Amino acid sequence: MNAQRPVSIVMIEDDEGHARLIEKNIRRAGISNHLTHFLDGTSALEYLFNSPDGPAHNGPAMVLLDLNLPDMSGTDILTKIKSDPRLHRTPVVVLTTTDDKVEIARCYDLGCNVYITKPVNYESFSDAIRQLGLFLSVIQVPDQDS
Amino acid sequence: MPHIDDRRFNRLAATAVGAGFLLLFLAFVGGIVALIEASRSSERVDHTYEVVDQLAEIDIWVERAETASRGYLLSPDRTRSATFRETVAEIAPAIERLALLTADNPVQRRNIARLGPQVTDEMAIMSAIMAKAESGQIGPAQADFVREVKERRVNAIRVTTKAMRDEEMRLLDDRTASERRSSEASRIVLGLTGILLVLIGIGATWLVRRYTRDLARARDRLHLLNTDLEGAVAERTTDLTNANDEIQRFAYIVSHDLRSPLVNIMGFTSELERADKVVAQFVERLETSETVVPEEVRLAVREDLPEAIDFIRSSTQKMDRLIHAILSLSRQGRRVLTPEHLPMERIVGDIALSLEIMAAERNARFLIEAPLPDLHHDRLTIEQIFTNLMENAVKYLAPDRPGVISIRGSASGDRARFEIEDNGRGIAPEDHSRVFDLFRRSGQQDQQGEGIGLANVRSLAYRLGGTVTLRSVLSEGSTFVVELPVKSTAEGKSE
Repeated sequence: MNAQRPVSIVMIEDDEGHARLIEKNIRRAGISNHLTHFLDGTSALEYLFNSPDGPAHNGPAMVLLDLNLPDMSGTDILTKIKSDPRLHRTPVVVLTTTDDKVEIARCYDLGCNVYITKPVNYESFSDAIRQLGLFLSVIQVPDQDS
Repeated sequence: MPHIDDRRFNRLAATAVGAGFLLLFLAFVGGIVALIEASRSSERVDHTYEVVDQLAEIDIWVERAETASRGYLLSPDRTRSATFRETVAEIAPAIERLALLTADNPVQRRNIARLGPQVTDEMAIMSAIMAKAESGQIGPAQADFVREVKERRVNAIRVTTKAMRDEEMRLLDDRTASERRSSEASRIVLGLTGILLVLIGIGATWLVRRYTRDLARARDRLHLLNTDLEGAVAERTTDLTNANDEIQRFAYIVSHDLRSPLVNIMGFTSELERADKVVAQFVERLETSETVVPEEVRLAVREDLPEAIDFIRSSTQKMDRLIHAILSLSRQGRRVLTPEHLPMERIVGDIALSLEIMAAERNARFLIEAPLPDLHHDRLTIEQIFTNLMENAVKYLAPDRPGVISIRGSASGDRARFEIEDNGRGIAPEDHSRVFDLFRRSGQQDQQGEGIGLANVRSLAYRLGGTVTLRSVLSEGSTFVVELPVKSTAEGKSE
């Protein structure tokens, strides 16, 4: 854990507007970590598990996950990440429009680390993302080798 | 096989049964008549023999009188003359009896008329002979007697009695013959009646069996229909449940997916605002450096853009609230109901307590008219219904008078009825059903709200198997009536 490597951010979000807003706010919060954006679950899973520069093979990452994806449910991706020995320590931040308590509880049960509701109120959304940036700057993401 | 309709069957059956009973009755009457006839005919036979006996008696008396007198003439003896007198005394009553017996027959009456004098004459002559003999003149009496025998008067009497006897026997024969004929006729009638009865019995049985078969078939068909109906109801219920579930899912998905673009609109509006601020600062800097900034640029940056952004924001927020409302409604529909015993007086009291501050601010008070019937339902749902209605009553008060909100309840059978009455501003008649629609409101719009409360109350009440109705007069007050089953029927019903 001594060899601190920059955490790369993997964002899985089908709405390009949301993705853009999230990225803007992350950058505005002063976080310059590398960010990879996927519009659907299939290509995101491919990257996470099989890509040579993906988190499974190369370095620590943090996943920003939307639950409503066109090709699969975000909870499926969450389950896959959390049940994979190489990725299960990867922090997953669920970002979605749902504030349904049942769904939030399910995400935590599946091992989600943070759950953020995308509020329509942009200020609170920005705040949330900023705090996420702070969170990112303090967390120690364990390398899968350690 | 042709179907017999009820009317035709009834007519046929009634006719058959009626005919059967008529025939039975006729047979009965016939039987009685035959019985009477039989006893009468035996009476007639007795009568005939009585007449014949009487005739024989008269013959004997006459014979005996002659024999007694003949004996006396041959050998005068006191006993013989006594016998003669006894016999003569008997003859007149015997003829009278005979006359009585045959009084109904004109032929016999004529015969009697002949017989009477014949016998009387004979007896008178005999008596005269006997008188002569008793006075000692045996010789002349014997001569009279011989002459008398030669006259053959006794023979004439015999002829008359024989004629009478024959007449009686002829009558008897006639009667017997006619009786035989009539008994033959009645036998034929009885036989026919028997055959008819058998036929009617067969016919009636056939009709009844046929009708019963039709009835049984109709019953089977009805049973089938009933079973089908149950199936159809079950199917409809399933359809309805499916449709309801579909609507719930639809509402959930729609509200979710509608929120997603809203996030973008709000987000980018904020970005726009931020950019506008940057531009505004730049314009300000230009102004302070005394560069000429065109009026329209200044207006666009300072007024038009902020105004547009404000409108976008307020509209988006409103839309978000509406979507949120739909979402929470759809969530309520998906909530699992867990019925429990609810002491309504305490529950309503608690709600009144929670609204106390709001009510005090608006110069209103709650009046809970105990007793309220207890319920067995999902606690949260009942609380939501009553909270909504009581809060509405506090919210829509008439400004010119202190508010009084009465809550009363009653139970009859398995239904409970609650009334929440206020003396508030009331609802115009044309809005009575509209207020229960989603996003619809009525009257002066001076209170916060999205027009969801009553729609929610109504859908909650429906879900518990109840209803919510409204009585109201504008500017006098409103009464909301909640009717519910006392005990929940949808135990643990979900989705």
